[in-house]
Amino acid sequence: MPENVNTTLHIINKAPEHARFRHCLASVQQGDTLLLIEDAVLALLDRERQLPGASYGLETDANARAVANRVPAEQLVDYAGFVQLTVNHSRIINW
Amino acid sequence: MPQPLSYTLVITGAPWATQAPQTALSFAQALLKAGHRIDRVFLYGDGVHLASALSAPPSDEQHWPRLWSEFLSGNNITAVACIASALRRGIVDKTEQARYELTASNLRAPFEIAGLGEWVEGNLKSNRVLYFHGAH
Amino acid sequence: MTTLIVIDQPPYGSWTGREALDMTFSLAAFDQPAAMLFLGAGVNWLCKGQAADAVGQKSVEKNLAAAALFGVEQILVDSRACAKYGLETSDLLPGTTAAESISETLGQYSRVVFAG
Repeated sequence: MPENVNTTLHIINKAPEHARFRHCLASVQQGDTLLLIEDAVLALLDRERQLPGASYGLETDANARAVANRVPAEQLVDYAGFVQLTVNHSRIINW
Repeated sequence: MPQPLSYTLVITGAPWATQAPQTALSFAQALLKAGHRIDRVFLYGDGVHLASALSAPPSDEQHWPRLWSEFLSGNNITAVACIASALRRGIVDKTEQARYELTASNLRAPFEIAGLGEWVEGNLKSNRVLYFHGAH
Repeated sequence: MTTLIVIDQPPYGSWTGREALDMTFSLAAFDQPAAMLFLGAGVNWLCKGQAADAVGQKSVEKNLAAAALFGVEQILVDSRACAKYGLETSDLLPGTTAAESISETLGQYSRVVFAG
């Protein structure tokens, strides 16, 4: 898969209520990808918040928090998928 | 497979206080499995606690410093704890123990103590630099 | 390839801001291009007249005021946060640049880094 030179992978590990979460969402541009890990997977369930189109959750963290079954399977990635996302994006912001 | 990439992994979250050491380790294992290279692991801020040789968690809990040292040694990966962060938090090697006339040293092999220059080098030379922070 | 270091925590209550400053000055010391963005509550790092002694800490005012001399390219400040905290330009250290749109600001840097 070719490297996306103009798009960014945003990785966030904070719960949706964390102040930095808002800044992260505001910075996701058209074509970017958002990867939610650790506590951030809860955002996949947060009805008050609209996530950008290309948003994924880390499966292991969703399973840990017993929320994986409430998220469409295609929105969850494993660690190999996490790696592949970082390979595909030359610009990565860890929020 | 397409060309392997080189990574610097920065850990700023402490074990048993954040998920950072676990997420980073699972990611690192997946990275190597996918054929990529880890140039270095850099511990910064509270992340330096991962390099302590004195952690004694209950036997039914994951021993993060030991798991990391086994992974690093087993794969010959350079691992550094930032000196400014480490000294403040009482993570010291024999050199610093002598310099500050401390009663003991406690740096877990294969971690070494070095400055932020290691991070600057990673920023410059590695294809990717990833950060594993606490969630607070 | 300028690295933008972002600080979004206020001073003195936690150490990630100091750690971010150390990263910034390290980049500058190794002649690597660096800039800083003070975001959200982090804008308070730039207030004039910080009396940090009484809480047993060193003030970073002098370091920040001298940042340009150390080679830091820009000190950007979140305008919306300044408005929220009632900070006018005259309340801030000299040499700062207002950042109106955070997403636009971030988009200008190839590397964006938080210290913690």
